Amino acid sequence: MSQLEYIIQQIINAVSLGSLYALVAVGLSIVFGVLKLTNFAHGDVMMVGAFTTVLLIGIGMPFAPAMLCGILASAVAGFLIERIAYRPIRNAPDVTRLLTSLAVTYILENLGILLFTSSPRNFPLPDILNTSWQLSGGAITFTNINVLTVALTFVSLIGLGWFITRTTIGLGMRAAAEDMQAAQLVGLNVNKVIIIAFIVASAYAGLAGVLWAAQAGVVQPQMGFTPLLKAFVAAIIGGFGSISGALLGGYMLGALEIFIVAFMPDVVVPYRDAIVFALLIAFLLFRPGGLMQPNREIKL
Amino acid sequence: MMKLSRRAAIGLGLGAAFAFSTVGAYAADPIKIGFPANVTGVQASLDGPMLNGAKLAVAEINAAGGVLGSPLELVTYDSKSDATVISTVASQLIDSDKVVGIIGFADSDSVLSIGPQVDKAKIPFITPGATSPKLPSQLGDQVFLAAFGDNVQAAVGAEFALNKLGAKTGYLLTDIGSEYTTLLSDYFVSAYEHGGGKLLGKDTYKIGDKNFTAQIAKIKALPEQPAFIYASSNAEEIGLILKQLRQAGINLPVVGGDGYDTPLLLEVGGAAANDAYFTTHAFMGEGASPAVQAFSDAYKKATGNAPENSFAALGYDAVKLMADAIKRAGAPEPAKIRDAIAATSGLPGVTGTITYRPGVAVPDKSVSVIGVKDGKLMLASEAAPAFVPEP
Repeated sequence: MSQLEYIIQQIINAVSLGSLYALVAVGLSIVFGVLKLTNFAHGDVMMVGAFTTVLLIGIGMPFAPAMLCGILASAVAGFLIERIAYRPIRNAPDVTRLLTSLAVTYILENLGILLFTSSPRNFPLPDILNTSWQLSGGAITFTNINVLTVALTFVSLIGLGWFITRTTIGLGMRAAAEDMQAAQLVGLNVNKVIIIAFIVASAYAGLAGVLWAAQAGVVQPQMGFTPLLKAFVAAIIGGFGSISGALLGGYMLGALEIFIVAFMPDVVVPYRDAIVFALLIAFLLFRPGGLMQPNREIKL
Repeated sequence: MMKLSRRAAIGLGLGAAFAFSTVGAYAADPIKIGFPANVTGVQASLDGPMLNGAKLAVAEINAAGGVLGSPLELVTYDSKSDATVISTVASQLIDSDKVVGIIGFADSDSVLSIGPQVDKAKIPFITPGATSPKLPSQLGDQVFLAAFGDNVQAAVGAEFALNKLGAKTGYLLTDIGSEYTTLLSDYFVSAYEHGGGKLLGKDTYKIGDKNFTAQIAKIKALPEQPAFIYASSNAEEIGLILKQLRQAGINLPVVGGDGYDTPLLLEVGGAAANDAYFTTHAFMGEGASPAVQAFSDAYKKATGNAPENSFAALGYDAVKLMADAIKRAGAPEPAKIRDAIAATSGLPGVTGTITYRPGVAVPDKSVSVIGVKDGKLMLASEAAPAFVPEP
């Protein structure tokens, strides 16, 4: 394996991991952008999508329709969470809303444990997605699930871009993100915008959940925590509330994690997570708006 | 004369029948043994079967007349694989439930969390599945292991690689997120190098990681490929590591410790698990020893399924060890029980015979090496190591 092949392989690894992080972070950022709400339940909405997919594959449904149903289930979950838990406290203080989203997290997670027990179960990925590509005599490899992840990230983000720049409701979402009161004053139906934002963000969570679980090989009720943590870091690096920021942050985090392992000396590698979180603190201290600076101050 | 309404009479009658059926012939109060178990969280696939094994042992002991004329009662709480919860549960067991001994955990980190409390309260503690041989010296003289130490299983793994696989060069992958995996790696290195093996490189990851592609690309970029990989991993990661290794075209044998010993290895690893080997406490599959077979049948009868892994048998053995000690102590008093545990000699169990050498709270037991072939587990070797690294 030549040095060049090694570098190409690690870039492929970084893009593949970064796509997953970006998908989760984008969903988190949509909700934060519109509602200024840190939605801790985002990881659990991912779990809903992943479990639905696994259960449907279990009863014999092929992967693609099962995944679509998983995404749909997440969207429905997002819709219900907004209507039942978040809407009644929309104008409450930040602390109340933060705690409510934590409560939703615990409810969903424990519901999952009651229904499915907390032990991990296998994600039955079809063989075709596990098949790997061998380039340059096997020196560079990647699997079809990697390709699918990257492809779906791009396709869904292009779709999202079109949605928020070309449709009325999408423009409404951006207006609400900019200034909720002003948007309301010029006649924007805030309830409609918020519920759509939640559904879109939750569908993203569903997609991210399925792909995350497919790559991890297992699903379990507590699976949402790690991706949520990664997405927070990605979103803060990129700029919380900014979709392009979340995307950038996701890929940067993926690259950072892979490159620390790949190119740093052995003594540094064990400090991978410490380095990532040190960077996070540095961003919060010196550039709290992240790379994109959507709002200069962030409230958690 | 007391007058009873019909309903009260039926109630009393039922109550008496129920009380009789549960306590049976015992006149004395039950002897309470604490059993904190991580039945949820990352340790669930180990602690769950372990708790089932322990319950089976208690049922058998009580059916045979209990201990010192009293039935055993297992007081158990879910400690959620969380150090804070473990500490709360320990207080509950020691202060409220007044247990005379505690049995628990399959991993060294959880034992480290409960250790200070059992030492302070002077309650004897047996861990069925934790394997760090340092635990007794770190936590005081109340702590006993029912399983072999990591130094022993790492040495068996190293000798298996050198002698059975003929692997003179190796590569070491370590989960640095847990005490168990880091210690296991250290012992492996000293045993493998003592046996003449040469490590071509080392790398690390952390428990909870899902992506090992960066580490795997580093192995492929080595100037000389190793003959095998020692992956010191916990249960949830090893299946995925194997899968990603095979997908990247690395088909080397992978060797590791008893952390592999859960159904997840085959479920997640699938065909990629072929040529993986691990050291563990007993072989539970087809063609197992008569003692294991008998245990398997009883376990199946009690739970409805075959033992998930050898931790089920360890839970069973640990309860038998505690019961034997209480019997020899002559009274359910913690101090006497502790001394009786320390004096255990030649106690047969499903996972091997338990004897504690004077002053050593880790038993000398033989180690099973299990391999995966054509998607099935098979016994690859059973051995005591020639060289054991110092704890």
